[in-house]
Amino acid sequence: MAKRELIKERVPTPEVPVEERTKSFVEVNLGYDFASAIKEAERCIQCPPEYAPCIKGCPVHINIPGFIKALRENSNNSNEAVKNALRVIWNDNTLPAITGRVCPQEDQCEAPCVMGKVGDPINIGKLERFVADYARKHNIDEELLQEFANNGENMKGKVAVVGSGPAGLTAAGELAKMGYKVTIFEALHKPGGVLIYGIPEFRLPKEILDKEIAKLIELGVEIKPNYVIGKTLTLEELLEEYDAVFIGTGAGTPKLLNIPGILLDGIYTANEFLTRINLMKAYEFPKYDTPLTIGKRTVVIGAGNTAMDAARSALRMGSEVIIAYRRGREDMTARIEEIHHAEEEGVKFEFFLNPIEFIGDENGKVKAVKFEKMKALEEKDAKGKRKIVGTGEYILLEADTVVIAIGLEPNKVISEEATGLKTNPNGTLVVDERLMTSISGVFAGGDAIRGEATVILAMGDGKKAAKSIHEYIQKKYSSA
Amino acid sequence: MGYRITKKENLSAIDFFMEVEAPHIAHSWKVGQFVVLIADEKGERVPMSVYHAEDGKIGMFIRRHGVTTFKLWYEFDVGDEIFSITGPLGKPIEVKHYGNVVFVSDAVCAQAESYATLKAMKEAGNYTIAIQTFENAANTYPEKYLAKSVADEHYLTTEDGSIGIKGHYLDVLKELIEKDKVDIVFGGGKLGSLVKLAELTKPYGIPTIVTVRQIMVDGTGMCGSCRVLYDGEVKFACRDGPMFDAHKIDWEDAIKRNARFAKQEKLAKEMYMAKLKEKGVI
Repeated sequence: MAKRELIKERVPTPEVPVEERTKSFVEVNLGYDFASAIKEAERCIQCPPEYAPCIKGCPVHINIPGFIKALRENSNNSNEAVKNALRVIWNDNTLPAITGRVCPQEDQCEAPCVMGKVGDPINIGKLERFVADYARKHNIDEELLQEFANNGENMKGKVAVVGSGPAGLTAAGELAKMGYKVTIFEALHKPGGVLIYGIPEFRLPKEILDKEIAKLIELGVEIKPNYVIGKTLTLEELLEEYDAVFIGTGAGTPKLLNIPGILLDGIYTANEFLTRINLMKAYEFPKYDTPLTIGKRTVVIGAGNTAMDAARSALRMGSEVIIAYRRGREDMTARIEEIHHAEEEGVKFEFFLNPIEFIGDENGKVKAVKFEKMKALEEKDAKGKRKIVGTGEYILLEADTVVIAIGLEPNKVISEEATGLKTNPNGTLVVDERLMTSISGVFAGGDAIRGEATVILAMGDGKKAAKSIHEYIQKKYSSA
Repeated sequence: MGYRITKKENLSAIDFFMEVEAPHIAHSWKVGQFVVLIADEKGERVPMSVYHAEDGKIGMFIRRHGVTTFKLWYEFDVGDEIFSITGPLGKPIEVKHYGNVVFVSDAVCAQAESYATLKAMKEAGNYTIAIQTFENAANTYPEKYLAKSVADEHYLTTEDGSIGIKGHYLDVLKELIEKDKVDIVFGGGKLGSLVKLAELTKPYGIPTIVTVRQIMVDGTGMCGSCRVLYDGEVKFACRDGPMFDAHKIDWEDAIKRNARFAKQEKLAKEMYMAKLKEKGVI
């Protein structure tokens, strides 16, 4: 085999120009076409799977060199290439159009990539996304579904999945592939969890999410929206009807700042702000019935992906936006791509500002946020971040809209109702190494056990729990 | 796939009754809990009180007030399906023997809760008293929809005196308190009246549990839209309520927050009414 030349630079993906995209919610990144995807795929030096650091870096262990190989091996037949690559991905992950878009690849698969030591790491996320998108556009995923669908002859049992976010969808997909009858219960009127209420169209178009979920339905998964488990049905009732239950209820409760003025009009939690926009399409009010008030100047508090999503959404609704973070730039937890996009689009960043009070006008509407200026010490905290302390200096930022994006806690609807379900002091569910909770046959994963984490870690849990559920049910029936 | 409407009936000049097939909710609903409904695919999520939950159906009293409720009245009939209904949500209230239980109501949501709550309280062996206040005779419901059948004592008042006793539930309640007939008060309706209710019962130390109506989106504690200041702490009306001890709520804040979208709601309503006029519906 001819020696490959190392190409240090990534093949770029086109993006919608800034001036155009800030006027609408269209997806920003346009992704690869086949030719450029092949070019990028050619850069991969094909580490052997047992060594490949990218696989180790991926929480669901997608065979990354494998799918890249499949893609470029058939570079003269795009449909064949994509079909083979998709087959490799689906073995580990049934939702690549989602993960290809929202995973923090720079911290996971792409971080340890060997190519990254000599140049840019392989653009794994965009390649994964390309395979998923091309397959969807050319109905290749439909063909492949037949291969993956269980024909229903050896149905093994029934599993209830609570929550249709990344963890629940993954668990459901894996179990359906194994031949289980799976029912997903979702509290909202549409499935997707955080993917539908939390992530804006410009990062993950709803149409793509809907299609990914439709694949699960074709695999035999039933989705029941408008079911709040713990209220509509109890966990006990589920256990009477199903062989096992998977809880993937996420971290749905917003953390609030315990400072004066929190009830003022114009102050939203990121969850409310994004739910109104993403799920309820408030940016199309009054064509859609859900309103959202947005002022001339929005201050977003926080520095994670949610803060970026809220900031960029506010910008698209015509507001000037400042992100205020109590730490420094290096401690922001958002993906680099999202921070970069936010900056490009004109979001301003202010660091070392800790909010201490919301100031309202005579009508009870917010007009400013008072911050204490902070400074960083050399000493580091448990998370490896520099400790920060107040300086005693204060600053006012004018704002008629404020979005609080400082994190989430698990939603306690189930744990409050099912008293046998043990929780940690922070509200997360206690699970063992199989992801089984304190109730036999009830498993859990994702943010419900982690607190706030990423889509892909939730999917990793969904996959692991599916395997444990399979073993649990097999054992149950073999000993019966 | 939706939820079929099984009954629709006019209650008064402004309110109507609607019953929807929702067995998933009816089997678990308890007094104090509410539902969230969406009329159609572009609709918003609206919390609704429950009048009854029987035979797999949820009955609601609804005021023709904003876009969703106009839609439900003008565009939906028996046999049609609404897009979504979720529940039961919120915490049930404790149904037990209290003695003399009063339910006060002066707006549509609470009129529904009055019947449901007193029915349960009566079954639990309480002496039940309903005080139902309406603006005037035209806004008053037909007798079968009042809480009369489940109340040992029933008072109907109108603010203009056009039917029943002239006055507000506050007036009647004050008399009952003075006669020493009140062990606990439940209620709901206009937030402004609830402030006065809290002021009235507090000096007597009468427990007073009321629905704190707030703007909600998801209804499960996810969005934080319905936050209220309760006993100095931020609580979510959907998850921690919707019924709270009236003496511990910061009413000034609750009233302000509930008016957050008044301008938008008015605009949407005007646009919708114009559309109805154009179509010749009204």
